[in-house]
Amino acid sequence: MNIIMCRSLTYAQRASSALERAGITAMVARAPQELTNRGCGYCVKVSPRRFLDAIGVLRRAGVPHGRLFREEPGGRYVEVGE
Amino acid sequence: MIYLDSAATSLLKPREVAEAMERAMRTMASPGRGGHRPAMLAADTAFRCREELAQFFNAPAPENVVFTMNATHGLNIALSTLVERGDRVVISGYEHNAVTRPLHMLGAQTDVAHSPPFDRAAALEAFRERLPGARCCVCTHVSNVLGAVLPVYEIGGLCAEYGVPFVVDASQSAGVLEVDMGRLGAEFVAMPGHKGLLGPQGTGVLLCRGDAKPIMAGGTGSESRNQNMPQTLPDALEAGTHNIPGIAGLLAGTRWVRRRGLEAIERHERRLKDLMAERLAGVPELELFVSDESGEQSGVLSVRGLRMGSEELAAALGERGVAVRAGLHCAPLSHMSAGTIEGGTVRFSFSPFNTPGEVARAAELLKKLVRGR
Repeated sequence: MNIIMCRSLTYAQRASSALERAGITAMVARAPQELTNRGCGYCVKVSPRRFLDAIGVLRRAGVPHGRLFREEPGGRYVEVGE
Repeated sequence: MIYLDSAATSLLKPREVAEAMERAMRTMASPGRGGHRPAMLAADTAFRCREELAQFFNAPAPENVVFTMNATHGLNIALSTLVERGDRVVISGYEHNAVTRPLHMLGAQTDVAHSPPFDRAAALEAFRERLPGARCCVCTHVSNVLGAVLPVYEIGGLCAEYGVPFVVDASQSAGVLEVDMGRLGAEFVAMPGHKGLLGPQGTGVLLCRGDAKPIMAGGTGSESRNQNMPQTLPDALEAGTHNIPGIAGLLAGTRWVRRRGLEAIERHERRLKDLMAERLAGVPELELFVSDESGEQSGVLSVRGLRMGSEELAAALGERGVAVRAGLHCAPLSHMSAGTIEGGTVRFSFSPFNTPGEVARAAELLKKLVRGR
Protein backbone atom coordinates (compact mmCIF):
# COMPACT_ATOMS: atom_id res chain seq x y z
CA MET A 1 0.00 0.00 0.00
CA ASN A 2 1.19 3.53 -0.68
CA ILE A 3 1.18 6.11 2.06
CA ILE A 4 -0.13 9.63 2.35
CA MET A 5 1.23 11.23 5.51
CA CYS A 6 -1.13 13.52 7.43
CA ARG A 7 -0.68 16.27 10.01
CA SER A 8 -2.77 14.53 12.60
CA LEU A 9 -5.27 11.75 13.14
CA THR A 10 -8.14 14.11 12.35
CA TYR A 11 -6.57 15.18 9.04
CA ALA A 12 -6.00 11.51 8.18
CA GLN A 13 -9.65 10.81 8.91
CA ARG A 14 -10.73 13.77 6.82
CA ALA A 15 -8.56 12.53 3.96
CA SER A 16 -9.93 9.02 4.28
CA SER A 17 -13.48 10.33 4.35
CA ALA A 18 -12.92 12.39 1.17
CA LEU A 19 -11.34 9.41 -0.59
CA GLU A 20 -14.10 7.01 0.41
CA ARG A 21 -16.67 9.49 -0.88
CA ALA A 22 -14.82 9.46 -4.20
CA GLY A 23 -14.93 5.66 -4.28
CA ILE A 24 -11.28 5.13 -3.31
CA THR A 25 -10.67 2.65 -0.52
CA ALA A 26 -8.49 4.31 2.09
CA MET A 27 -7.35 3.13 5.49
CA VAL A 28 -6.34 5.38 8.37
CA ALA A 29 -3.31 3.90 10.11
CA ARG A 30 -0.42 4.75 12.39
CA ALA A 31 2.43 5.97 10.24
CA PRO A 32 5.46 3.67 9.98
CA GLN A 33 8.02 4.79 12.56
CA GLU A 34 10.77 5.47 10.00
CA LEU A 35 8.55 8.04 8.28
CA THR A 36 7.67 10.14 11.32
CA ASN A 37 10.54 12.43 12.19
CA ARG A 38 8.61 14.00 15.10
CA GLY A 39 7.32 10.72 16.50
CA CYS A 40 3.78 9.31 16.39
CA GLY A 41 1.90 10.25 13.29
CA TYR A 42 -0.96 9.10 11.17
CA CYS A 43 -1.31 8.35 7.51
CA VAL A 44 -3.77 7.10 4.95
CA LYS A 45 -2.96 3.95 3.03
CA VAL A 46 -4.24 3.53 -0.51
CA SER A 47 -3.60 1.02 -3.22
CA PRO A 48 -0.75 1.95 -5.62
CA ARG A 49 -3.27 1.65 -8.44
CA ARG A 50 -5.39 4.54 -7.06
CA PHE A 51 -2.52 6.60 -5.62
CA LEU A 52 -2.52 9.37 -8.21
CA ASP A 53 -6.31 9.52 -8.26
CA ALA A 54 -6.25 9.84 -4.47
CA ILE A 55 -3.84 12.77 -4.53
CA GLY A 56 -6.05 14.49 -7.08
CA VAL A 57 -9.17 13.94 -4.95
CA LEU A 58 -7.48 15.42 -1.86
CA ARG A 59 -6.26 18.43 -3.83
CA ARG A 60 -9.71 19.12 -5.23
CA ALA A 61 -11.34 18.64 -1.81
CA GLY A 62 -8.85 21.03 -0.19
CA VAL A 63 -7.62 18.43 2.28
CA PRO A 64 -3.99 19.10 3.16
CA HIS A 65 -1.58 16.21 3.37
CA GLY A 66 2.08 15.60 4.12
CA ARG A 67 4.78 13.63 2.32
CA LEU A 68 3.93 10.78 -0.05
CA PHE A 69 5.55 7.36 -0.04
CA ARG A 70 5.48 4.39 -2.36
CA GLU A 71 5.88 0.95 -0.85
CA GLU A 72 8.63 -1.05 -2.52
CA PRO A 73 8.89 -4.83 -2.55
CA GLY A 74 10.32 -5.88 0.80
CA GLY A 75 8.36 -3.21 2.67
CA ARG A 76 10.74 -0.28 2.10
CA TYR A 77 9.19 3.14 1.52
CA VAL A 78 10.40 5.57 -1.11
CA GLU A 79 9.29 9.18 -1.07
CA VAL A 80 7.61 10.37 -4.24
CA GLY A 81 6.74 13.84 -5.43
CA GLU A 82 3.24 14.88 -6.35
CA MET B 1 -40.60 14.44 39.13
CA ILE B 2 -41.18 17.32 36.74
CA TYR B 3 -37.78 18.43 35.51
CA LEU B 4 -37.77 22.08 34.44
CA ASP B 5 -34.06 22.87 34.76
CA SER B 6 -32.80 22.10 31.26
CA ALA B 7 -31.01 25.45 31.00
CA ALA B 8 -28.58 24.01 33.57
CA THR B 9 -28.45 20.44 32.26
CA SER B 10 -30.89 18.56 30.09
CA LEU B 11 -31.53 15.61 32.36
CA LEU B 12 -34.12 14.16 30.00
CA LYS B 13 -32.23 12.61 27.07
CA PRO B 14 -33.06 10.38 24.16
CA ARG B 15 -32.54 6.69 24.97
CA GLU B 16 -29.85 6.49 22.26
CA VAL B 17 -27.50 8.71 24.26
CA ALA B 18 -27.07 6.29 27.16
CA GLU B 19 -26.92 3.35 24.73
CA ALA B 20 -24.12 4.99 22.72
CA MET B 21 -22.19 5.74 25.89
CA GLU B 22 -22.56 2.21 27.19
CA ARG B 23 -21.39 0.83 23.82
CA ALA B 24 -18.39 3.17 23.86
CA MET B 25 -17.41 2.07 27.34
CA ARG B 26 -17.50 -1.56 26.31
CA THR B 27 -15.79 -1.33 22.92
CA MET B 28 -13.72 1.85 22.53
CA ALA B 29 -10.31 2.93 23.76
CA SER B 30 -8.64 6.28 22.97
CA PRO B 31 -8.30 8.00 19.60
CA GLY B 32 -4.73 8.61 18.52
CA ARG B 33 -3.32 6.20 21.06
CA GLY B 34 -2.91 3.13 18.90
CA GLY B 35 -3.74 1.49 15.63
CA HIS B 36 -5.72 -1.36 17.19
CA ARG B 37 -9.43 -1.80 16.70
CA PRO B 38 -10.67 -0.29 20.00
CA ALA B 39 -8.52 2.81 19.41
CA MET B 40 -9.65 3.15 15.80
CA LEU B 41 -13.30 2.69 16.79
CA ALA B 42 -12.87 5.54 19.26
CA ALA B 43 -11.15 7.64 16.59
CA ASP B 44 -13.97 6.96 14.18
CA THR B 45 -16.59 8.05 16.75
CA ALA B 46 -14.70 11.26 17.53
CA PHE B 47 -14.32 12.08 13.85
CA ARG B 48 -17.96 11.37 13.04
CA CYS B 49 -18.94 13.65 15.90
CA ARG B 50 -16.64 16.43 14.60
CA GLU B 51 -18.05 16.00 11.08
CA GLU B 52 -21.65 16.10 12.31
CA LEU B 53 -21.03 19.19 14.46
CA ALA B 54 -19.06 21.02 11.75
CA GLN B 55 -21.93 20.49 9.35
CA PHE B 56 -24.62 21.39 11.88
CA PHE B 57 -22.93 24.64 12.97
CA ASN B 58 -21.38 25.52 9.61
CA ALA B 59 -17.81 25.38 10.93
CA PRO B 60 -15.06 25.40 8.28
CA ALA B 61 -14.02 21.72 8.68
CA PRO B 62 -14.09 18.82 11.17
CA GLU B 63 -10.69 19.83 12.60
CA ASN B 64 -12.16 23.19 13.62
CA VAL B 65 -14.40 21.35 16.08
CA VAL B 66 -12.52 21.00 19.37
CA PHE B 67 -13.84 18.85 22.21
CA THR B 68 -13.85 20.52 25.60
CA MET B 69 -15.16 19.65 29.06
CA ASN B 70 -17.94 22.21 28.83
CA ALA B 71 -18.66 25.67 27.41
CA THR B 72 -16.66 27.33 30.18
CA HIS B 73 -13.56 25.42 29.12
CA GLY B 74 -14.05 26.56 25.52
CA LEU B 75 -14.60 30.17 26.52
CA ASN B 76 -11.40 30.11 28.58
CA ILE B 77 -9.44 28.93 25.53
CA ALA B 78 -11.05 31.55 23.29
CA LEU B 79 -10.47 34.43 25.68
CA SER B 80 -6.90 33.37 26.55
CA THR B 81 -6.16 33.36 22.83
CA LEU B 82 -7.58 36.81 22.12
CA VAL B 83 -7.21 38.86 25.29
CA GLU B 84 -4.25 40.24 27.22
CA ARG B 85 -4.06 42.25 30.42
CA GLY B 86 -5.56 45.70 30.02
CA ASP B 87 -7.37 44.94 26.74
CA ARG B 88 -10.83 46.41 26.39
CA VAL B 89 -13.42 43.71 25.75
CA VAL B 90 -17.04 44.54 24.92
CA ILE B 91 -19.60 42.18 26.42
CA SER B 92 -23.38 42.14 26.67
CA GLY B 93 -25.21 42.84 29.91
CA TYR B 94 -26.31 39.20 29.98
CA GLU B 95 -23.01 37.33 30.22
CA HIS B 96 -22.48 34.34 32.47
CA ASN B 97 -19.57 34.07 34.91
CA ALA B 98 -18.07 31.70 32.31
CA VAL B 99 -17.24 34.87 30.40
CA THR B 100 -16.81 37.50 33.10
CA ARG B 101 -14.58 35.48 35.42
CA PRO B 102 -12.01 34.49 32.74
CA LEU B 103 -11.92 38.13 31.62
CA HIS B 104 -11.35 39.22 35.22
CA MET B 105 -8.61 36.61 35.62
CA LEU B 106 -6.93 37.81 32.42
CA GLY B 107 -6.98 41.39 33.70
CA ALA B 108 -9.16 42.62 30.85
CA GLN B 109 -11.10 45.83 31.00
CA THR B 110 -14.71 44.77 30.47
CA ASP B 111 -16.92 47.29 28.74
CA VAL B 112 -20.54 46.25 29.24
CA ALA B 113 -23.00 47.06 26.46
CA HIS B 114 -25.95 47.48 28.81
CA SER B 115 -29.48 47.17 27.46
CA PRO B 116 -32.91 46.51 28.98
CA PRO B 117 -34.15 42.90 28.91
CA PHE B 118 -35.60 41.79 25.56
CA ASP B 119 -34.67 45.06 23.82
CA ARG B 120 -32.67 43.87 20.82
CA ALA B 121 -32.45 47.28 19.19
CA ALA B 122 -31.02 48.83 22.35
CA ALA B 123 -28.53 45.95 22.67
CA LEU B 124 -27.35 46.46 19.10
CA GLU B 125 -26.97 50.19 19.61
CA ALA B 126 -24.99 49.65 22.83
CA PHE B 127 -22.58 47.35 20.95
CA ARG B 128 -22.30 49.77 18.05
CA GLU B 129 -21.19 52.56 20.41
CA ARG B 130 -18.55 50.48 22.16
CA LEU B 131 -17.01 48.31 19.43
CA PRO B 132 -14.61 50.78 17.75
CA GLY B 133 -11.12 50.15 19.10
CA ALA B 134 -12.11 47.15 21.23
CA ARG B 135 -9.78 44.14 21.37
CA CYS B 136 -12.57 41.60 21.36
CA CYS B 137 -16.33 41.22 21.69
CA VAL B 138 -18.18 38.47 23.55
CA CYS B 139 -21.91 37.93 23.45
CA THR B 140 -24.19 35.19 24.65
CA HIS B 141 -26.75 34.09 22.08
CA VAL B 142 -29.43 33.59 24.74
CA SER B 143 -29.48 34.81 28.34
CA ASN B 144 -29.44 31.81 30.68
CA VAL B 145 -31.52 33.78 33.19
CA LEU B 146 -34.25 35.33 31.05
CA GLY B 147 -34.16 33.38 27.80
CA ALA B 148 -33.70 36.72 26.01
CA VAL B 149 -32.35 36.14 22.50
CA LEU B 150 -29.59 38.62 21.69
CA PRO B 151 -29.05 39.87 18.13
CA VAL B 152 -25.78 37.97 17.68
CA TYR B 153 -25.89 37.89 13.88
CA GLU B 154 -26.22 41.66 13.72
CA ILE B 155 -23.53 42.10 16.41
CA GLY B 156 -21.30 39.80 14.34
CA GLY B 157 -21.87 42.13 11.38
CA LEU B 158 -20.79 45.11 13.47
CA CYS B 159 -17.70 43.24 14.68
CA ALA B 160 -16.75 42.54 11.05
CA GLU B 161 -17.27 46.24 10.20
CA TYR B 162 -14.99 47.37 13.04
CA GLY B 163 -12.47 44.51 12.72
CA VAL B 164 -13.14 43.19 16.22
CA PRO B 165 -12.83 39.41 16.81
CA PHE B 166 -16.16 38.00 17.93
CA VAL B 167 -16.75 35.22 20.46
CA VAL B 168 -20.22 33.71 20.84
CA ASP B 169 -21.41 31.83 23.89
CA ALA B 170 -23.98 29.43 22.47
CA SER B 171 -24.60 27.66 25.78
CA GLN B 172 -28.35 28.21 25.71
CA SER B 173 -28.89 28.14 21.96
CA ALA B 174 -26.94 25.18 20.56
CA GLY B 175 -29.50 22.51 19.75
CA VAL B 176 -32.42 24.94 20.05
CA LEU B 177 -31.81 27.90 17.73
CA GLU B 178 -29.80 28.08 14.55
CA VAL B 179 -26.11 28.65 15.33
CA ASP B 180 -24.30 29.31 12.06
CA MET B 181 -20.62 30.02 12.61
CA GLY B 182 -20.14 31.29 9.06
CA ARG B 183 -23.02 33.74 9.25
CA LEU B 184 -21.98 34.88 12.73
CA GLY B 185 -18.50 35.65 11.45
CA ALA B 186 -17.27 34.49 14.84
CA GLU B 187 -13.68 33.66 15.68
CA PHE B 188 -14.89 31.20 18.32
CA VAL B 189 -18.24 29.68 19.28
CA ALA B 190 -18.39 27.83 22.60
CA MET B 191 -21.15 25.48 23.68
CA PRO B 192 -21.82 22.70 26.18
CA GLY B 193 -22.72 19.19 25.07
CA HIS B 194 -25.04 18.58 28.01
CA LYS B 195 -27.78 21.14 27.40
CA GLY B 196 -29.61 21.55 24.08
CA LEU B 197 -27.41 19.01 22.29
CA LEU B 198 -28.65 16.41 24.78
CA GLY B 199 -25.24 14.85 25.39
CA PRO B 200 -23.84 13.96 28.80
CA GLN B 201 -22.25 16.25 31.37
CA GLY B 202 -18.52 16.70 30.89
CA THR B 203 -18.80 17.36 27.16
CA GLY B 204 -18.47 20.64 25.32
CA VAL B 205 -17.41 22.01 21.97
CA LEU B 206 -15.34 24.96 20.86
CA LEU B 207 -15.65 25.90 17.21
CA CYS B 208 -12.45 27.67 16.15
CA ARG B 209 -12.05 29.66 12.96
CA GLY B 210 -8.26 29.60 13.13
CA ASP B 211 -5.40 28.96 15.50
CA ALA B 212 -5.88 29.11 19.24
CA LYS B 213 -3.64 29.15 22.28
CA PRO B 214 -3.63 25.97 24.34
CA ILE B 215 -4.38 26.45 28.03
CA MET B 216 -3.26 22.92 28.80
CA ALA B 217 -0.31 20.91 27.44
CA GLY B 218 0.22 17.18 27.29
CA GLY B 219 -0.02 14.09 25.14
CA THR B 220 -1.97 14.23 21.91
CA GLY B 221 -0.92 10.99 20.24
CA SER B 222 0.89 13.03 17.60
CA GLU B 223 4.37 14.58 17.16
CA SER B 224 5.46 12.93 20.40
CA ARG B 225 9.11 13.99 20.14
CA ASN B 226 8.12 17.62 19.92
CA GLN B 227 7.94 19.22 23.36
CA ASN B 228 5.77 22.04 22.07
CA MET B 229 2.10 21.36 21.59
CA PRO B 230 1.24 20.56 17.95
CA GLN B 231 0.02 23.68 16.20
CA THR B 232 -2.70 22.03 14.17
CA LEU B 233 -6.29 21.84 15.33
CA PRO B 234 -7.79 19.98 17.06
CA ASP B 235 -4.65 18.44 18.60
CA ALA B 236 -3.35 21.84 19.75
CA LEU B 237 -6.27 22.16 22.17
CA GLU B 238 -6.94 18.55 23.11
CA ALA B 239 -4.16 17.41 25.44
CA GLY B 240 -4.84 14.20 27.33
CA THR B 241 -7.25 11.34 26.89
CA HIS B 242 -10.61 12.14 25.31
CA ASN B 243 -13.95 11.55 26.99
CA ILE B 244 -14.98 9.01 24.38
CA PRO B 245 -18.16 7.75 26.10
CA GLY B 246 -19.14 11.41 26.41
CA ILE B 247 -18.37 12.13 22.77
CA ALA B 248 -20.36 9.06 21.70
CA GLY B 249 -23.29 10.34 23.76
CA LEU B 250 -22.90 13.82 22.32
CA LEU B 251 -22.97 12.39 18.80
CA ALA B 252 -26.16 10.46 19.57
CA GLY B 253 -27.76 13.55 21.14
CA THR B 254 -26.81 15.78 18.22
CA ARG B 255 -28.21 13.29 15.73
CA TRP B 256 -31.48 13.18 17.65
CA VAL B 257 -31.69 16.99 17.60
CA ARG B 258 -31.01 17.09 13.86
CA ARG B 259 -33.65 14.43 13.19
CA ARG B 260 -36.24 16.25 15.30
CA GLY B 261 -35.29 19.60 13.73
CA LEU B 262 -34.44 22.91 15.38
CA GLU B 263 -37.69 24.51 14.34
CA ALA B 264 -39.79 21.83 16.02
CA ILE B 265 -37.69 21.93 19.20
CA GLU B 266 -37.76 25.70 19.40
CA ARG B 267 -41.50 25.82 18.76
CA HIS B 268 -42.18 23.20 21.44
CA GLU B 269 -40.05 24.88 24.10
CA ARG B 270 -41.47 28.33 23.34
CA ARG B 271 -45.00 26.95 23.53
CA LEU B 272 -44.28 25.54 26.99
CA LYS B 273 -42.78 28.86 28.10
CA ASP B 274 -45.84 30.71 26.76
CA LEU B 275 -48.15 28.26 28.53
CA MET B 276 -46.32 28.76 31.83
CA ALA B 277 -46.48 32.54 31.40
CA GLU B 278 -50.21 32.38 30.60
CA ARG B 279 -50.91 30.26 33.68
CA LEU B 280 -48.97 32.62 35.94
CA ALA B 281 -50.14 35.89 34.40
CA GLY B 282 -52.09 38.11 36.75
CA VAL B 283 -50.87 36.38 39.93
CA PRO B 284 -50.19 39.43 42.11
CA GLU B 285 -47.57 37.66 44.23
CA LEU B 286 -45.34 37.07 41.19
CA GLU B 287 -43.36 39.17 38.76
CA LEU B 288 -42.76 37.50 35.39
CA PHE B 289 -39.97 38.30 32.95
CA VAL B 290 -41.63 37.87 29.60
CA SER B 291 -40.95 39.46 26.25
CA ASP B 292 -43.82 41.03 24.33
CA GLU B 293 -42.40 39.39 21.22
CA SER B 294 -42.38 35.58 21.49
CA GLY B 295 -39.43 35.34 19.08
CA GLU B 296 -37.23 37.33 21.44
CA GLN B 297 -37.42 34.73 24.20
CA SER B 298 -36.44 31.07 24.09
CA GLY B 299 -37.86 28.31 26.30
CA VAL B 300 -36.79 29.91 29.57
CA LEU B 301 -38.99 31.82 32.01
CA SER B 302 -37.78 33.63 35.11
CA VAL B 303 -40.18 34.68 37.84
CA ARG B 304 -39.76 36.56 41.10
CA GLY B 305 -41.86 35.95 44.18
CA LEU B 306 -42.84 39.25 45.72
CA ARG B 307 -43.48 37.71 49.16
CA MET B 308 -41.29 34.60 49.07
CA GLY B 309 -37.59 34.52 48.17
CA SER B 310 -36.48 32.64 45.08
CA GLU B 311 -34.49 30.02 47.01
CA GLU B 312 -37.44 29.40 49.31
CA LEU B 313 -39.79 29.02 46.36
CA ALA B 314 -37.48 26.66 44.48
CA ALA B 315 -36.96 24.54 47.60
CA ALA B 316 -40.72 24.30 48.15
CA LEU B 317 -41.23 23.33 44.51
CA GLY B 318 -38.43 20.76 44.81
CA GLU B 319 -40.13 19.19 47.85
CA ARG B 320 -43.26 18.83 45.72
CA GLY B 321 -41.40 17.20 42.84
CA VAL B 322 -40.68 20.14 40.55
CA ALA B 323 -36.98 20.71 39.75
CA VAL B 324 -36.11 24.34 38.97
CA ARG B 325 -33.16 26.61 39.64
CA ALA B 326 -33.19 29.67 41.87
CA GLY B 327 -30.79 32.47 42.72
CA LEU B 328 -28.38 34.25 40.42
CA HIS B 329 -27.76 31.36 37.99
CA CYS B 330 -23.99 32.17 37.88
CA ALA B 331 -24.93 35.32 35.96
CA PRO B 332 -24.97 38.32 38.33
CA LEU B 333 -24.52 40.68 35.40
CA SER B 334 -27.76 39.42 33.89
CA HIS B 335 -29.58 39.96 37.17
CA MET B 336 -28.18 43.50 37.36
CA SER B 337 -29.62 44.12 33.90
CA ALA B 338 -32.98 42.69 34.96
CA GLY B 339 -33.02 44.48 38.33
CA THR B 340 -33.10 41.17 40.22
CA ILE B 341 -29.61 41.14 41.72
CA GLU B 342 -31.08 41.12 45.24
CA GLY B 343 -32.55 37.67 45.63
CA GLY B 344 -32.45 36.56 42.02
CA THR B 345 -35.27 34.69 40.32
CA VAL B 346 -36.77 31.24 39.99
CA ARG B 347 -36.05 29.93 36.53
CA PHE B 348 -38.20 27.45 34.63
CA SER B 349 -36.47 26.01 31.57
CA PHE B 350 -38.00 23.53 29.21
CA SER B 351 -36.81 20.64 27.06
CA PRO B 352 -38.14 18.72 24.06
CA PHE B 353 -39.34 16.04 26.50
CA ASN B 354 -41.48 18.22 28.76
CA THR B 355 -45.23 18.19 28.21
CA PRO B 356 -47.93 20.85 28.53
CA GLY B 357 -49.45 18.79 31.36
CA GLU B 358 -46.24 18.98 33.37
CA VAL B 359 -46.04 22.73 32.84
CA ALA B 360 -49.65 23.23 33.91
CA ARG B 361 -49.08 21.19 37.10
CA ALA B 362 -45.91 23.15 37.94
CA ALA B 363 -47.74 26.44 37.41
CA GLU B 364 -50.60 25.39 39.69
CA LEU B 365 -48.16 24.32 42.40
CA LEU B 366 -46.33 27.62 42.20
CA LYS B 367 -49.58 29.57 42.43
CA LYS B 368 -50.62 27.63 45.54
CA LEU B 369 -47.22 28.21 47.12
CA VAL B 370 -47.13 31.97 46.61
CA ARG B 371 -50.71 32.27 47.83
CA GLY B 372 -49.73 30.44 51.01
CA ARG B 373 -51.92 27.39 50.39
